[in-house]
Amino acid sequence: MSRRHAAETERAQPGVAVHPGSPRRRRLFVVLAILGPGLIAANAGNDAGGIVTYASAGAQFGYRTLFVMLVVTVGLVVVQEMCARLGAYTGQGLGALIREQFSLRTAAFALVLLMIANTGLVVSEFAGIAAAMELLHVSRYISVPVAALTIWALVVLGNYRYAERIFLVLGLVFITYPISAILAGPHWGSAATDLVIPHFLANRDFLLLGVALIGTTITPYMQFYIAAAVADRGVSPADYPDTRIDTISGAIFADLISIFIIVATAAAVTTRAPLNSAAQAANALRPVAGRFAEQLFAIGLLGASALAAAVVPLSTSYAIAEAIGTESSVSRRFSEARLFLGLFTFEIVLGAGVALVPGSLIRLLINAQILNGIITPVLLCFILTLANRKSVLGDAANGPVFRAVATVTVAIVAIMAAAAVVTEIAGL
Amino acid sequence: MSEKTYAHPRWGRLWSLRGREARSERALTARSVREALVSLAGLVGRPVRNQAGQEVGRFLDIVVNFASIGEAELYPPVTGLIIRVGRRRLWLQAAQIAEMTHGEVRLASARLDLQEFERRPGEVELAGSVLDHELIDVDGHRVIRASDLVLAPLRDEIRLVGVDVSVTSLLRRLGPARFRIRPTPDRVIDWAAIQPIGDEGRVGGVRLRQPAKALEALRPAELAGLLESLGRGERQSLLDALDRSTAADAVEEMGAEHVQRLLRDASSELAAELLTEMEPDEAVDALRDLSSEERERLLAAMAPNASARLARLLGYDEDRAGGVMTSTLLTCKEHETVAEVTGRLRKLSEHAVDLPGIVVIDHEGRLLDDLTALELLLAEPSTSLSELVGPPWPVTVTPDTLVSEVAVQLIENRSASLVVVDDGGVPLGRILADDVLDALVSEKGHFQLFRLARP
Repeated sequence: MSRRHAAETERAQPGVAVHPGSPRRRRLFVVLAILGPGLIAANAGNDAGGIVTYASAGAQFGYRTLFVMLVVTVGLVVVQEMCARLGAYTGQGLGALIREQFSLRTAAFALVLLMIANTGLVVSEFAGIAAAMELLHVSRYISVPVAALTIWALVVLGNYRYAERIFLVLGLVFITYPISAILAGPHWGSAATDLVIPHFLANRDFLLLGVALIGTTITPYMQFYIAAAVADRGVSPADYPDTRIDTISGAIFADLISIFIIVATAAAVTTRAPLNSAAQAANALRPVAGRFAEQLFAIGLLGASALAAAVVPLSTSYAIAEAIGTESSVSRRFSEARLFLGLFTFEIVLGAGVALVPGSLIRLLINAQILNGIITPVLLCFILTLANRKSVLGDAANGPVFRAVATVTVAIVAIMAAAAVVTEIAGL
Repeated sequence: MSEKTYAHPRWGRLWSLRGREARSERALTARSVREALVSLAGLVGRPVRNQAGQEVGRFLDIVVNFASIGEAELYPPVTGLIIRVGRRRLWLQAAQIAEMTHGEVRLASARLDLQEFERRPGEVELAGSVLDHELIDVDGHRVIRASDLVLAPLRDEIRLVGVDVSVTSLLRRLGPARFRIRPTPDRVIDWAAIQPIGDEGRVGGVRLRQPAKALEALRPAELAGLLESLGRGERQSLLDALDRSTAADAVEEMGAEHVQRLLRDASSELAAELLTEMEPDEAVDALRDLSSEERERLLAAMAPNASARLARLLGYDEDRAGGVMTSTLLTCKEHETVAEVTGRLRKLSEHAVDLPGIVVIDHEGRLLDDLTALELLLAEPSTSLSELVGPPWPVTVTPDTLVSEVAVQLIENRSASLVVVDDGGVPLGRILADDVLDALVSEKGHFQLFRLARP
């Protein structure tokens, strides 16, 4: 009885075509494999909603939101690190941990919130696809159904892995933002001042945009994604230092790109009014792409949105199926996982359906991020509680200093979200 | 959504091993208890009343003893309740329970004998550490999560009899109390088919003989799947419940990254034992994935001859014949008879898959011929091997031959395996066709996050 599975030997090493090599070469691949989930998770935050929210921040408030981004980056690092740690030390995703550690009703509450936040996100991803295709002169009534069907079929029937890589490469277009930001000749002095010096504009739009920035950067789905990815790759406590480096650097890298999106848009779009079209946002890429800015922006937006439109419903269904646990994760056949498949299909259909409702796609995108911003602090409380518990993490549980920092982070996010809700109600 | 207590097709195979009597007896038991099932989730937070019907406290948890289950006892008995009186958590002996019905516990006397709860060996709090946690359904060879636990009176004792895995039960528990207390036994798995896993508190710190035996009836690939899909603590616990050779067979079937994780998490002692039990080529593969310090530590923990054998194999490059061969060989002298050889073969039956042939050597230890098991089977038991030795002569390779060259040799000779010999013609090991396949077929770098989404 042996050997059927040895062909799986190299499976853990993504993106690298491996031939049996010397032990040392293998080691390197293991390191490469571990350098991953954090980077991917954080950069998945730069999806349709993210890009539009950052661009909107730049267009509307210039460099004024940069300080918020600095705070958000600290928050992202703290939160992602806790999630990666939970994944590495328990070998389980957040869905399973929440089910085991909280009462059933509390767990159901958390997962319903996750479901709502993520459905909002799926809507925004399809809105992103629609906006991108409209820049390329394709009606959303054609592009959204086609995209929904394609993504569904790729995940359920076809080879999602290859599609994922294509989307990822398309999304890399946004690496051009830093170049664009530099070429646009922004006012570096005021950008630096606004980044470092704490400030806050006392108006409703700024507050809402701040919440949207939090919502799009510290997205609940990213937390569930990174814990599941770390657990699924089998990162052990011994490997955890590498994973921590990856997680922290991934978060910082992703936020640097976000900051450059804000700077580039602030320099290119000087209306200081909310963005109302994707074409306007595309102007920020003009210093790099000239008259092809719109096309370049469209390609990037399409890639980022399509990737997230697949990953968000996948990670939601995974978390919920894992928490309910009626489907064994041993069964690897997608067709056997009815609950998983049902949830996935439901999210895609609902997301695409809402994105087809006539109206401003950009507003839809930002509203989804605000919704995420409001739900995020609640889910962060769950994560914080889990990471604080010695019964879950043993000696790796949050120490007093980390606990204080994380609590303050969650509190700030919660206060901003609460303020947004209050102003929204008062404003009505 | 169809499994009933015994409806799983695998039962047939398991039962044929255990005998018919046991089967019918247990089916009867199952039927008789169905009337009296009590839902654990429905009891949590409900009143505990004394003989006079006055509420003395609220139900918090129920404690069963896993240690007492043996061959005859498949269902763990309840040893007591944990109830909340005011703000205190107190312990109530099972003997004091008069009746346990849907949503209510009634005590036998008006006088209460309450004390602080102290867990004894083998005792497990069901609501706290089993409900909503992962368990292994041995028959379905899969990991399940308990939606509810089902209790029933059995031979004058209240016992844990089953695990509810339905979504209906989850929804019921989310609803108001009058739904919550009623069990919905549509997808209940018999506790006899369950292997609890997890830390001390969840398995009571004991190895369960009966379910572990059923676990060993699983195919290694099924066990490997279970081991792969469990969290860290749960995997360790399952591993502890298996005997070493069963565990080693399962580990061989696991993906490399899972093996690596498992060996790192395990104690040096356990890891060394597993490596010793594994087929040498598989063990070497696993060792190559570890860092050199970890490798040294594990080799040092092994018995000297076992570690020397693995260390020799580790010396060969992975893309050479020496790096993929297994050193498990059955070598025989020319003068031995077929009967003697089959006798030796029988003792090595655990290596059966790695022994497609019998290597015949001369008095200086050099290879003469590679006989197939079929040749032995067809020959008279009294025949001596020298009569079977003859053309076609076996094709051999040296440890330095490239794996790709080995593949060419295999294809040209239409054989399933080749013998590896040193320069002097002394057999060192054997390469099977599937080893070569494993070495040549590289996975296309799958990024595996979501197991369920794997095509």
